[in-house]
Amino acid sequence: MNSFNSLIDGFASALTLSNLGFGLLGTFLGTLVGVLPGIGPALAIALLLPITYTVSPASALIMFAAIYYGAMYGGSTTSILLNTPGESGSVITALEGNKMARNGRAGAALATAAIGSFVAGTIATLILAFTAPTIADLAIKVGAADYVALMLVAFTTVSSLLGASQIRGFISLAVGLVLGLVGADLQSGLSRLTFGNQAAVEGIETVPVIVSIFALGEALYIASRFKELGWNIIPMKGKALMTRDDWKRSWKPWLRGTALGFPLGVIPAGGSEVPTFLSYSVEKKLSKNPEEFGHGAIEGVAGPEAANNANAAGALVPLLALGLPTSATAAVILVAFQTYQIQPGPTLFLTNGALIWTLIASLFIGNTLLLVLNLPLVRVWVQLLKVPRPYLFAGIVTFAMLGAYALNTSTFDVQVAIAIGIVGFLFRRFGMPITPLILGLILGPNLELQFRRALQISAGDYGTLWASPLSKVLYAVLLLALFTPIITRVMKKVRKDAHA
Amino acid sequence: MGSLFLLGLIVFWDTARTELPAFNLTVSPKVFPFAIAILLMGLSALLFINVLRGDTAVPEGLEAGDPVEKSDYKTFALVLASLFAFLLLIERAGFIIAASITFFGITVAFDNKKHLRAAVFGTIFITVIYFSFTHFLHVQLPAGILKGI
Repeated sequence: MNSFNSLIDGFASALTLSNLGFGLLGTFLGTLVGVLPGIGPALAIALLLPITYTVSPASALIMFAAIYYGAMYGGSTTSILLNTPGESGSVITALEGNKMARNGRAGAALATAAIGSFVAGTIATLILAFTAPTIADLAIKVGAADYVALMLVAFTTVSSLLGASQIRGFISLAVGLVLGLVGADLQSGLSRLTFGNQAAVEGIETVPVIVSIFALGEALYIASRFKELGWNIIPMKGKALMTRDDWKRSWKPWLRGTALGFPLGVIPAGGSEVPTFLSYSVEKKLSKNPEEFGHGAIEGVAGPEAANNANAAGALVPLLALGLPTSATAAVILVAFQTYQIQPGPTLFLTNGALIWTLIASLFIGNTLLLVLNLPLVRVWVQLLKVPRPYLFAGIVTFAMLGAYALNTSTFDVQVAIAIGIVGFLFRRFGMPITPLILGLILGPNLELQFRRALQISAGDYGTLWASPLSKVLYAVLLLALFTPIITRVMKKVRKDAHA
Repeated sequence: MGSLFLLGLIVFWDTARTELPAFNLTVSPKVFPFAIAILLMGLSALLFINVLRGDTAVPEGLEAGDPVEKSDYKTFALVLASLFAFLLLIERAGFIIAASITFFGITVAFDNKKHLRAAVFGTIFITVIYFSFTHFLHVQLPAGILKGI
């Protein structure tokens, strides 16, 4: 199969008027939700999932991809001007970017973030286009037992690398797995955890769960610690432009950020915190003037922003090639695929090749649109921050309720949504990460399916689970991911004791 | 924390209680729920030990060591009440009324002083959403008591 020709075909179908329209709408919405603090790309896509009931798969996926990329552009604007990271990947950007803005260099910070995101996004999408089919080709040989191992690795890394507490990550995962259990068992028809409720037999719908755990959970959490919080926007002087010196200092961090971000997106390393943080420390080490770091060094914005975008593109590789999401947003996109009865995975490039290449082509188009949309219009986006917060939350919550109800026009889904909203609130209050729950809910049933398939092939012999070389490697990785945080903690403690 | 252990127990009990269907399967549909129940109970026990050793929960958005302020139960209750209003009204009064009340309730909860403006704006916003969903996206929403208008 020739990736290049397929990509050209993809461009041809992505550039139709209606698909371009959906792409434009997606970049617009993505930037919007990125700019507004508190709404991440996962929530934005989850809120828009109801449109999958009527819009064609290509158009919807193009829009979701555009939201995915757009939210990162928008997020950097908020971190720089407001010091409030809109999503986790922008935390580092806020560090240096906000300092630059305070020094009157907001324009340069915004420009290096936007252009760096563009450069990284384009390179990473190019690598995605040429590696994903190859990985998918290899993955066809992956058996059911290997899938079990692969999913367990994804569970472990996401649960133990996200957030401060490993146990809380795993508890979040377990709660997600329980939610995935509810309903009739696919193989035997046995009702599990339904407690005689007819509506529950069909299982808990993923869409209302995702929407309410983000939207309702966040609204309730903000309400519980509500004070009249004002936003302190740093005014932006001049245009979003970079001087010749800024360019000279930015281009290398962009490329290094891309090189760090992409591979860490491909392997399930628990989202965008790790690569952005790594990129920041690399730039600090390599810089000729490290004393500038912490006071507004442009390298500290350029590198992490590029890493963030490359990471997002990298996360699409396991999603498309293996059907394995490694971040909350990727998990929501997986649900979008599933509502169209399309199962991402090794056979995706064969069964839905045209659709996937259209999607990849639209990533390039979306990325370009975003650069054009963001640099000159950054002032317009900043105005958005003046929307009163009560209206913002009211709008998000009503939309979430609408989405929960409209899915099956049933009040059972609304009940589930409210209950999950309360769970989302409790998770935030007690410092539990949410991504593991979503992965557990979505991948749990899949894991059970593959687990049984493997054991059926081996006629009940559990040894089959770690018989293949690939699964042995994967279980080694799993143990590593499980124990590395513990070992580093012990090492730190030992070192501290040695000093004391 | 206790509730997590309880959840594990519930899963365990429900799984143990149900009777297996007559036909034979290589892997019983009980294996998975049992594994998850044990995992959940084990983890909550571990968490309990950790909390006793001083690893208390850090609410999102705060750093370890930041003072945890008292929760604002009034705002919280108002938001929750708005959610239940939607649940109770959606099929009885229809989408426009239910969603407008939810919208208004949340603006009130988040301390919006201009009640009239919020109510008018919210109702217009919801009505626009209703018609764009039913007419352009062909998603059916209940018209409720406003049917025919």
